[in-house]
Amino acid sequence: MFGLFVSLSLLIAVLGAAAVAEMPQSTAAQNGPAIGPPPAPPPAALQAVRFAVIGDNGTGDQPEFDVARQMVASRAQVPFDFVLMLGDNLYGRPSAREFDDAFARPYKPLLDAGVRFHAILGNHDALDNRLYPLFGMDGQRYYTWARENTRFFGIDTNRLDDAQMAWLENALKRSFERWKIVYFHHAIYSGGTRHGSNIELRVRLEPLFVRYGVNVVFSGHDHIYQRFKPRKGITYFVEGASGKLRKGINASAESAAAFDQDQSFMLVEIAGAELTFRTITRTGRVVDAGAIGAGPTS
Amino acid sequence: MATHVMPTDWRHAVPTRSRAAGSLHYLTGHYLLLPLGAAVAFVWANVDGFSYYTVAHALAFPVNAIAMALFFGLVAQEIFEETAPGRALHQWSRWVVPMIAAAAGVTVGAIVYGLYVEWKLEPMLHVTWPVVAGVDVAFAYFVVKAVFHRSAGPPKGGHNVHPAVPFALLLALVSNVIGVVVIAPVFANAAERTGGAAVLMAAAIGVAWWLQRRHVKQFWPYIWVAGGLSWLALYLEGFHPALALLPIIPFMPHARRRLDELFADEADQRGATPRHFEHVWHYHAQAALFLFGLVNAGVVLTGYGTGTWATLAALLLGRTAGIAIGVGLALALGLTLPANLRAREVIVIALAVSVGFTLSLFFATTLLPPGPQLAELKLGALLSLLGVPLTFIAARLLHVGRFARAHVHPHGKHRGA
Repeated sequence: MFGLFVSLSLLIAVLGAAAVAEMPQSTAAQNGPAIGPPPAPPPAALQAVRFAVIGDNGTGDQPEFDVARQMVASRAQVPFDFVLMLGDNLYGRPSAREFDDAFARPYKPLLDAGVRFHAILGNHDALDNRLYPLFGMDGQRYYTWARENTRFFGIDTNRLDDAQMAWLENALKRSFERWKIVYFHHAIYSGGTRHGSNIELRVRLEPLFVRYGVNVVFSGHDHIYQRFKPRKGITYFVEGASGKLRKGINASAESAAAFDQDQSFMLVEIAGAELTFRTITRTGRVVDAGAIGAGPTS
Repeated sequence: MATHVMPTDWRHAVPTRSRAAGSLHYLTGHYLLLPLGAAVAFVWANVDGFSYYTVAHALAFPVNAIAMALFFGLVAQEIFEETAPGRALHQWSRWVVPMIAAAAGVTVGAIVYGLYVEWKLEPMLHVTWPVVAGVDVAFAYFVVKAVFHRSAGPPKGGHNVHPAVPFALLLALVSNVIGVVVIAPVFANAAERTGGAAVLMAAAIGVAWWLQRRHVKQFWPYIWVAGGLSWLALYLEGFHPALALLPIIPFMPHARRRLDELFADEADQRGATPRHFEHVWHYHAQAALFLFGLVNAGVVLTGYGTGTWATLAALLLGRTAGIAIGVGLALALGLTLPANLRAREVIVIALAVSVGFTLSLFFATTLLPPGPQLAELKLGALLSLLGVPLTFIAARLLHVGRFARAHVHPHGKHRGA
């Protein structure tokens, strides 16, 4: 009996030590896209950063074309020059024809105008979709890039492995920009009745977002639009209705705005310490708008 | 998988134990700690997901990569002993039909999985097909044993075990071995390969060999020293370290056991090595299984998705059909089924081994990091427990085992088929 007690105690001690080692902690970056050395501080005069946000769009159906047409029209007022794609960029099997039908054709006017797209993968995307040049992923599942005073972090929540987590932490840590925007597919805050908030991802990601001063998070997956009241200084958006639409949003006191009656996209403009946004349906109706201020430079 | 079948008079064997100790004994004897851990996890995750996932993530590595090594070590030890001369797995001929059936089951299951994933346009899930190879051996054992409980045993030999039991267990073992072989090199949490692992593994085996040569009867030196070196070697090389005890098992002390039931141990002989250590180890493995269920089975109800239904369809439909096809193929090749097994018994056995549960959960956690896709697969593995009632329904409809039509014996006695 004593032997059993000793051996069980030893086992518990080993497991406990390993569990402690698994607790969230600062880790060095492992594999992943190169982040590069910390760049020099930005010049004082910065231009506004303007972009659109779409999610769950890659159907090739009429609503996707309608949203794209409305995006083109909105450029007259907000001349955005890039688009964040929140995953499920292509619902069909990857082929030249599918990429053409569900992406190149709907967004042809934008592509012709020089607008660039920066996608991340959704659950309906094939892994090789990251190689499609017009998705702007440069073959990576997760990557970071900056424009003026804003740094973007595109991550892959399909496979949020340890290497990616270490890379993300390192990338966030090294970011000096005033605005830090993270975008990925599976929402960690969502009132969608089908999927809702992914708590497991929230447990892993939110502490990093809070620790390193992320300002805004964009996600999709639920085919709705929703904005949440700032949580721990972070504003969470769900924009998963730029092609698909699934009605059904759970009422929540944490929700600031929600819309599930039509397909939509977002327009965002960052000027200095203020981010303004508008959510527009495929018929041109503005269903949400507002401004977010960045806190002190982190 | 070891299943420590309690002797019918086990309460009398431990008269001084309290009722709580007796309950624990019953839970471990029937491998109920794993479902208990899974049930706690499922409720916890749906009531307070944040606290559950915080704890589960902290425990995931130590449980899945360290504690589970004890479980797989116990399984390997049972299998190794059964391959000894005179044991159930010694005769190669007994393996052939279950092997063909298992391979066909995994193949058709993987095809069903792939077709479903393709149909639902989620191509990233294709790589997770090995979840369909997972068979929960404990559930298979208890379900088959329960179904064939009142059936006649084999005509000769006098052993009170229906041939469905070893047939199902062999089938389950082969299926799991296929899964282990596939997933072993793709350990999702593996560190970068650092080299030197071959030296460590050689040292591990050398230590085990030296302990054997020294006639060391205590089993913990084998596990902690040789097993520890082996664990490190596998981990550094990117193989799943939960398999660390597999190369050590052949060097450990073994004992012959009774022949009447596959994977059943004799009653504990206190202090008698190696008989006693299996019982001690059994409790450690059960503790590991409880933690495994607790850490891995917590899935929120809204976490279902394509991976859930693909796993479920592959396990319940694909693998069942594949096993039936495999047995048909084996018979067409001139092989024979054990006595008392016919087509309808095979269908019931195939349904009994459709439960993926523990092994499917293990394969899933190896293939994917925590996240929505893994949650989908986990839910599918949990839902495969539906295979248990389906097995009893099929047995009843097909009049198999305890549900066989009673018929009047020429001498006037009622007997089952």
